[in-house]
Amino acid sequence: MKFLPYLLKHLRRNWFRTTLTVLAMALCIFLFCTLQSVLAQIQSVLDSRSAKRLVTRNSVSIVFDLPMAYEGRIQSVSGVERVAMSNWFGGSLPAKKEGKAEEGSSSTTDWSNFFPNLAVELEPFLAMYPEYQIPPDQYRGLLADQRGCAIGRKLSDKFGWKPGDTFYLESFIPVHRKPDGPFEFVVRAVFDTDPVRFPGTDTNLMLFDRKYLYEATGRKLQAGVYYVEIKDPERAGEVSTAIDRLFENSDHQTHTETEKAFAASFVAMAGNLSLLLNGIGIAVTFTILLVVANTMSIAVRERRTEIAVLKTLGFTSRQVMGLVVAESVLIGVIGGALGVLGSQGIMWVLTHAPGVRSLLAAAGLSELNLRPLVVGLGLANAVFLGFAAGVVPALGAYRARITDMLRTV
Amino acid sequence: MVDCRNVTKVYRKDAEELVVLNGLRLQVQEADFVALMGPSGSGKSTLLNLIAGIDKPTSGEVVVAGTNVANLGETELAQFRSHNVGFIFQFYNLIPVLNAAENVELPLLLTHLSKAERRERALTALKVVGLSDRASHYPRQLSGGQEQRVAIARAIVTDPKVLVADEPTGDLDARSATEILELMETLNREFQKTIVMVTHDPRAAERAHTQHHLEKGVLRD
Repeated sequence: MKFLPYLLKHLRRNWFRTTLTVLAMALCIFLFCTLQSVLAQIQSVLDSRSAKRLVTRNSVSIVFDLPMAYEGRIQSVSGVERVAMSNWFGGSLPAKKEGKAEEGSSSTTDWSNFFPNLAVELEPFLAMYPEYQIPPDQYRGLLADQRGCAIGRKLSDKFGWKPGDTFYLESFIPVHRKPDGPFEFVVRAVFDTDPVRFPGTDTNLMLFDRKYLYEATGRKLQAGVYYVEIKDPERAGEVSTAIDRLFENSDHQTHTETEKAFAASFVAMAGNLSLLLNGIGIAVTFTILLVVANTMSIAVRERRTEIAVLKTLGFTSRQVMGLVVAESVLIGVIGGALGVLGSQGIMWVLTHAPGVRSLLAAAGLSELNLRPLVVGLGLANAVFLGFAAGVVPALGAYRARITDMLRTV
Repeated sequence: MVDCRNVTKVYRKDAEELVVLNGLRLQVQEADFVALMGPSGSGKSTLLNLIAGIDKPTSGEVVVAGTNVANLGETELAQFRSHNVGFIFQFYNLIPVLNAAENVELPLLLTHLSKAERRERALTALKVVGLSDRASHYPRQLSGGQEQRVAIARAIVTDPKVLVADEPTGDLDARSATEILELMETLNREFQKTIVMVTHDPRAAERAHTQHHLEKGVLRD
């Protein structure tokens, strides 16, 4: 510690260069922490999916529907416990109804508060989702009212909605629209979750009776996907194959997979996100390593005489090497701390800025936050980068002979 | 205090050998003040480096304060320098980002002294060289003579047995040079420091008790 003031004074020698180097390091750790947090959150969402649930969708694409008649046939497959039809409603708050449209604006939709909403067969769906905990009286009220909906605690907190409140949603999907305007919903239930038993479960979600959508749109609606609960998770592969085999000679072939794989396929739509994000992280890290190493090399070269003086005064080569490495690590630590703070800041902004928050929520990432493990890894990365960048110049200082360095004065 | 016995120093570059010191013998008594003179390339600075323990002879013995530096490893040599030798450079070589007191305190970072004790000793050393009122000044705020005095304070702060000075007045005007030489005389006379000084300046050499002339790696007198 007694060398710390000495190191800090050296960092201030060329404050502009030091500042740029620290900022480069901060950017690196900022990107590392932010990207890793996104990946960790995605993984958390995927891990929250039950191994007992399968999803059957159109084998061509999720955007194509499946016949409603498939429900009974899927239910008949050995190992299937229950089946629930579901349609992604794609509804958002209509601005005019909510009184948020500006005068003369052509906008009818308030996208800034978008949240996921699903039309489902409520009874089987909620039976296979123990994550969503609804008080019994509210559950009964939900089933009794076709306009009724269940909202997660987060939605309730966000909009201040409570049982009995009414709101309107209008879908961006044409076949989910009705001619007489937006759908009216009545909050009948607010569901919570147990974060210990079901970590990663998001309550930023709204569920309503699929019959309401079906009847309001003229009974032309098909099934978006089928959620299938199976009796034994060990037989997921076998049951999936059996379901798909049922429809392999039909016009609407199916693709059945675990709910986790289904959720992961959304992520995969953007390519191999993990590979992409990690690739960016590694490229940036390596670049910053070169930048810091270059800075330290220049700093050591500029200080050849001082290194000679230190050795003349009795500092051993190891001590001089240690000072150079410590200076580089110090740059890493300061930059790392700034990067972590920056990452924390951007995550706060992302999860609080109205438009972005809704997008994250729609992607299931509303819980995006900087985890302690990621902070630890980020700081360790910064220390490692500082160390690695300082080692080569430090070795030069270690090996340098006093007489050679003094001769260059 | 210093005993160089049959010292040879050879520099090798590729197949070429350059003999800088050739069987040199030199003895310096405790509390002596010795000036080493000679033309450029005669081996003065090389001899000084050997006495200071920042280089090792190719053959022979260099015994300083009872220790043969030729037998010491790199770490032991560093410790030897830290305990026994104070080095005064021609160009002062102060650390520009440290103020005078911090520069003087630098060798004490290698000791187990507390921060307060280090500070106290550094201020004492600055007082000895007459710069106690410049403790918080940075090198760029000092004149050449003052910088050299700070460098001398840094050299004496660990109370070394031997002071070695490589042309300590070589970069100074006449008046500053005189002040530095008077200071060195004081250190020798009042603090009993053994001083070995390399110089080209006959007036500086006159301050020493003994003058030695080197030529082609051997002492001529």
